[in-house]
Amino acid sequence: MMPATATRPTPATALRPILGVALADVRDRVRQPAYAVILLAAVALGWLAVPAAGSHWVILQIGDHRGAYNSAYVGLATALAGSLWLALGGFYVVRGVPARDEASGVGRLLAATPLRTTAYFAGKFLSNVLVLASMLVVLAATALTMQLVRGEDRAVDLGALLLPFAVIALPLMVATAAAALLTDTLPGLRGGLGNVVWFFVWMVLAVGGQGPGAPLGGIGVYGAVRSMHAQVREQAPDARGEFSLGFTYTETPLHTFTWSGFTPDAGYLLSRAAVAGLALVVALLPALWFARFDPARGRIAAASHRTPVATVAPATWAAPIPARPLTAARTGGWPFFRLYAAELRILLQGTRWWWWAMAALLTLTAFAATGNGATRIILPAAWIWPVLLWSRLGTQAPEGGVDALLGAIPRPARRALAEWAAGVTLTAVTGLGPGAVLIREGDTDGLASWTAAVLFVPALALALGTVSRSHRLFQATYLPLWYAAANGMTFLDYMGATRAPGQPATVPPTLLALLAGLLLAGVLTRGAGGRFGWSRRWR
Amino acid sequence: MLELIDIAKTYRGGKRAVDGITLRLAPGMVGLLGPNGAGKSSLMRIAATITRPTSGRVLWHGTDAVARPDPLRAALGYLPQDFGVYPNLSAPEFLRYLAAAKGLSARTARARTDELLHLVNLTEAGKRPLKAYSGGMLRRVGIAQALLADPEVIVVDEPTAGLDPEERVRFRNLLSDLAADKIVLLSTHIVSDVESVARDIAVVAGGRLLYRGTPEELLRRTTGLVWELLVRPEDLVAVRARHAVSRMVRTPEGVRARVLAGEPPVPDAVAAEPDLEDAYLATVGGAARQVAA
Repeated sequence: MMPATATRPTPATALRPILGVALADVRDRVRQPAYAVILLAAVALGWLAVPAAGSHWVILQIGDHRGAYNSAYVGLATALAGSLWLALGGFYVVRGVPARDEASGVGRLLAATPLRTTAYFAGKFLSNVLVLASMLVVLAATALTMQLVRGEDRAVDLGALLLPFAVIALPLMVATAAAALLTDTLPGLRGGLGNVVWFFVWMVLAVGGQGPGAPLGGIGVYGAVRSMHAQVREQAPDARGEFSLGFTYTETPLHTFTWSGFTPDAGYLLSRAAVAGLALVVALLPALWFARFDPARGRIAAASHRTPVATVAPATWAAPIPARPLTAARTGGWPFFRLYAAELRILLQGTRWWWWAMAALLTLTAFAATGNGATRIILPAAWIWPVLLWSRLGTQAPEGGVDALLGAIPRPARRALAEWAAGVTLTAVTGLGPGAVLIREGDTDGLASWTAAVLFVPALALALGTVSRSHRLFQATYLPLWYAAANGMTFLDYMGATRAPGQPATVPPTLLALLAGLLLAGVLTRGAGGRFGWSRRWR
Repeated sequence: MLELIDIAKTYRGGKRAVDGITLRLAPGMVGLLGPNGAGKSSLMRIAATITRPTSGRVLWHGTDAVARPDPLRAALGYLPQDFGVYPNLSAPEFLRYLAAAKGLSARTARARTDELLHLVNLTEAGKRPLKAYSGGMLRRVGIAQALLADPEVIVVDEPTAGLDPEERVRFRNLLSDLAADKIVLLSTHIVSDVESVARDIAVVAGGRLLYRGTPEELLRRTTGLVWELLVRPEDLVAVRARHAVSRMVRTPEGVRARVLAGEPPVPDAVAAEPDLEDAYLATVGGAARQVAA
C-alpha cells in the first residue's frame, strides 16, 4: 500500500471543513420555501420600523418624539427592530440543526468522517449566523428603500445607515445563533422546552439589555439612546418621556427631531466584539458533550424513526409460529371515541409525573383563589404550562413519519377532529381550576370567555401544526400572544384574564369561537384535500 | 378489481415519474419490478391513495377513487417503504389506534391486534414502547398494521427492507397466502423477492410499463440472449463496454462472466438458460438502450 502523503495542516485546511459544513447547511436552508417567507417577514419588519408620518403606531420613540427619517435614524430604528424581533423569531428559525442532521441521516455520514466535532459546530454556527445575517441584509435594503419612500430626508449616508446593523444587530444575531446551537444539544432543552426558555431569556435580554449597566453593553443600544436623548433635549428642551423600543400605539402622531447618528468609541466596539467572541465559545461548547450522532449515547431527535436502536430482545420471525385463524374484520361501534382516546394518549405520550403535579398544583391553587386571582394570575399560568403539548397537535404524525401510514386510511377529517377534541380536553383539564371558580362565582361572561379559549387554543395549535408540520410555529406564535394577554394587552386577551369579574371580555367569546371554528374548518378541509385524501402532504 | 388507467405523475420541477401506465389488478399477486427511480413508489402511492395522479384514472370496482378515495381506503392495507411510529406507544396501542382510524369495532380491533402481533411474533415484545424496537421489528409492526382491516387490496412497497433472509422468506410466504383471495401489489427491485411468489410480473423503468405477464413469458423472451464466457481480467472492461454483464466471478482461470447479447459476444461463449434476473436486466437494459438511442 502506498504511504499517505503527509500534509502540514494550514489555516486553509483547517477552515475548509468548517466552510464546507456551513455552505452545505446554508444551501439546504435557503432552498426551502420557508426561507423566502422569512425574508418577506424581514421586509415587513423593515416597513413596520419606519411608519408613515401620520401613523398612530411606532417602534422607537423618545417620549413624544421620533427621529426624522434620515439614514442614521432609519438605520437605527430598523436595526433595533431587527435586533429585538429577529433575536426571538430568528432563534426559532435556526433551531434544530443537529436534530435535522440526525433525522436525515447526514449526521451519521459526517460522524464517520475525520471531521472534528468542533469543526462541525463551528460550521453549523457559521451557517446559523449567515442565515440570520441574510435577514439583516434584507432589513438594511428595506431600510434604505423606506428612507427614500418616506422622503423626509432623501440624502443617503450608507455608513450611518449600516452602522447600527453592524454594531448592534449583527452581534445580537451572532449570540442568537450560538444560543440556538447550545439549546439544540443540551438535554432537556433540545426539544420544545428550549423554545419556551428562550422566550423568557429573550424578554430579560430585551428589557435588561437596554440599560447602561448591562453586562458587555447588553444589546448595545445605550450609546445611541444617550445620544438621541441629548439631541432631543437640544432641539426640544420641553420634551419629556423615556426611550421606548417595541410596537406601541400613540394617541397623536409624534413630533420629530433630527438625529445625526452616533460614533462608537473603542470601548463600545470592544464590547460588541466580546459579545461575538463569547457567542463563538458558547457555540463550540457542545463539542464537549456531543455524542456525534451515536444513538447508543443518546438521541437528538426523539421522534426520529430512521435510527431504531433495539433495547428489547429482537424476537426473530423465522421460527415457526402456530397458525391461528384471524378474526373477521368488522367496522362499527363508536370508532370516533376510541380514536379520540387514542389521540389523547398520543398527545400526552411521554408526559412525566412532575408535569401532572404542576398542573394539579395550579388547579388546587385556583380553587383557593378569588375569582379575580384565579383568572388574572392562575389562568395565564395554567395556560402556558401545556404549550409544549399543544404544539404536538398536527405535528406528531409528520414529524414521526406516521403520516406515511395514515395517508391511506379513510376519513382523515374524523382523525383531525379527534385530535382537536384531544387538545380541547387538555386545555379544559389544565384550565379546570379557574373554570370551576368562574362557575362557583356565577361569572357567565368569564365562563363564556374560558370556553371560547378552550376551543380556540387547540384549534390554533392544530392549524399551525398542520400547515407547518413543525411544532415551532405554534410555539413562536402562542408565546407572544400569551405574553400580550397576560400583560394586559386587552385586544389580544383570548383568555379573559384582564377582564374585571362580571364584565364582558375584550375579545368577544363568540368571535373567538368563530375563529376556532374557521381554523378547524381549514384543517378539516385540508384533510379532505379534494373529497378526503390525495392532499400531497396531508397527514 | 382495481384499475390504474393511463396513469401519469409529473412532480413540481417537471420530473415525470410515471408516464402513462395502465395496470388492471384482480385477486392474486402482481410483482412490480424496476430499478431505483423507475417510478414504482410513485405508482404505489397513487394506488394507495396517497398521491394524486397528474392524469389518468384509478377505479375501484368501477368507482373513481381519485374523486372518492374512501371506498378504496376502506379496503386497503398499505405498507410504505418508509414509515414512522409513535415512539412512546406500545405495538398493541399503536395498532389499536390505527384500527380505530380505520373504523374497526372495538372487539375486532382487540382481537386482530393480538392475532396479528402473534402472526409477526411480536406478542412478547408487545408491551414495550416502539422506540425500543429494532428496524426489522418495526417493519413487522408495519406488516401487521397493513393487515388490520382484513384488506381486499394490499399494497406493499419494498417490504423486505430491514428483514433478515429468514424473515424475508416468511413474509413472502405470507403474501403468497394472502394473494389467494386478495389483490396484492408488491413493489421491489429485488428480483428474488418476486420470483418466488408472483405469477404475474410488471416491469417498469423510466416511468413506463415495459412488460406485464408471467415470469415464463419473460424468460422465453430472453432465450438466446444469455451467454457465459471466460475472459481475461484485462479484457473485462471491453466486454462490459459492449454488453450488459449480469454477473461475474473471478476465478484463477480468469473472470467467468454472464453476458446479455443478441449473438455470441466471443467465439467460445456458451449459450446459457436465462433466469429471471437476466430477463429483468434484458428488459430494463433494452429500454435504456432505446432511450439512449
